Amino acid sequence: MNRREEILDIVSKVVALPSCVGKASSLLENNVEDFAKLARIIEHDPGLTANLLKMVNASAIARRHPIQTTRDALCWLEAPDILQFVISTGLAPTYVRTIDGYDQSPGMYLQQSVAVAIAACKLGKALGVSFPAYTYTAALLAGVGKLVLGTYVKVDMHRLMSKVLEENLPFDKAEDAVLGINHAEIGEFLLKRWGLPPEITDVVRYHLRPDDYAGESLVLDLVHVGNLLAKLIGVGLGADGLNYDLSTNSIERLGVTPEIADRVSAEVVTELGGLWDLFVECVDRVCVL
Amino acid sequence: MSTLTVSISDMKFSTDPGDVLVTYSLGSCLGVTAYDPKARIGGLIHCLLPSAVGAKERARKKPFMFVNTGVAMMVRILLENGAQKNRLVFKVAGGANMRSNDFFSTGKRNMEALTKLLDRNKVSLAAQAVGGTIPRTMYLYLDTGRVVVKSLGKESEL
Repeated sequence: MNRREEILDIVSKVVALPSCVGKASSLLENNVEDFAKLARIIEHDPGLTANLLKMVNASAIARRHPIQTTRDALCWLEAPDILQFVISTGLAPTYVRTIDGYDQSPGMYLQQSVAVAIAACKLGKALGVSFPAYTYTAALLAGVGKLVLGTYVKVDMHRLMSKVLEENLPFDKAEDAVLGINHAEIGEFLLKRWGLPPEITDVVRYHLRPDDYAGESLVLDLVHVGNLLAKLIGVGLGADGLNYDLSTNSIERLGVTPEIADRVSAEVVTELGGLWDLFVECVDRVCVL
Repeated sequence: MSTLTVSISDMKFSTDPGDVLVTYSLGSCLGVTAYDPKARIGGLIHCLLPSAVGAKERARKKPFMFVNTGVAMMVRILLENGAQKNRLVFKVAGGANMRSNDFFSTGKRNMEALTKLLDRNKVSLAAQAVGGTIPRTMYLYLDTGRVVVKSLGKESEL
């Protein structure tokens, strides 16, 4: 079994992603008195969002109408005991392996994911385009493969960064060279197995290389540029830094200018300011990763 | 001793020699320190964008978001709290750019804005760790004014 096959074998056994469940669990104990609060926590947490979408899309009804957003998913789950199950899937899976690499604490990963999601949506608004609601979900989950790699696979970050810095490779190409697979592909593999709709899994797969996608997708372009803007802003930035390629085709299709990018960056930082309470809760000892 | 964390578009200063100012995850943003070794007062700012031109309302609410308004305000606050302008030592870190593409070039533009501001005030930088594609964390130790930059697990003094 080569390295790629080993990694895919590990990923195929992942039944739930780590997430920040402490606050959500405590809200459930109060019989979900404040449903809006619960939705707010879940929709900004990549682990809880992915776990939730996995569960709702496994149901027969949802398969005919794939669920793409946290809000829609919560509408399917009225019974607190079902919701309790979803959230408990984020609790310490027994097979969690040592994190080795990626240099991102749980709080930083959460911040980066939320920054990407906000950036993609703010960019769409700034450009005046009509984009679907699942843009936020797709952007939030775009980097989920990195969470999987960092949690379940032993990654030699030193070797990856040597490829990046000495061979001038973008980070995802360095992953391809060292691991035989990159985190975008791993994210797609996992979420497809979990039954998430192609509208989301395609964005996860191609968000680093939209030019490889057959066709054009507004959501993909927004998430690609939003991801890079979030990295430029720096919030929650990991060791991979700014070592990614920008698609000029995406830029041209969207009509982004540096002025628009600056405005969006400022708006992202301002909006993130209203979410620090979630991040603080996540980095608390209740966060499972 | 306290560690004071400076978030994006924020500035903190201290006169307590036991304090350490730190800012994390500098991507294209600039972290700028100013320290008066005699008064032992120093500040650290984390600027997101180069200029408040075209964003006056935002600059009014968040002056530290921008290099041109933020650094000037940090200096003003340090002077009001006992620093002397001619003794201030300036150091900078961050200003990274996306690899192989200068479309956004936010890091480069941030550094140009700082250079313009300092040149206009006839002030020179004592040290810098800017550019490239790597994230940086910047520390200012108030006891000596020592500035440390950490990146990819390695620490170096500026």
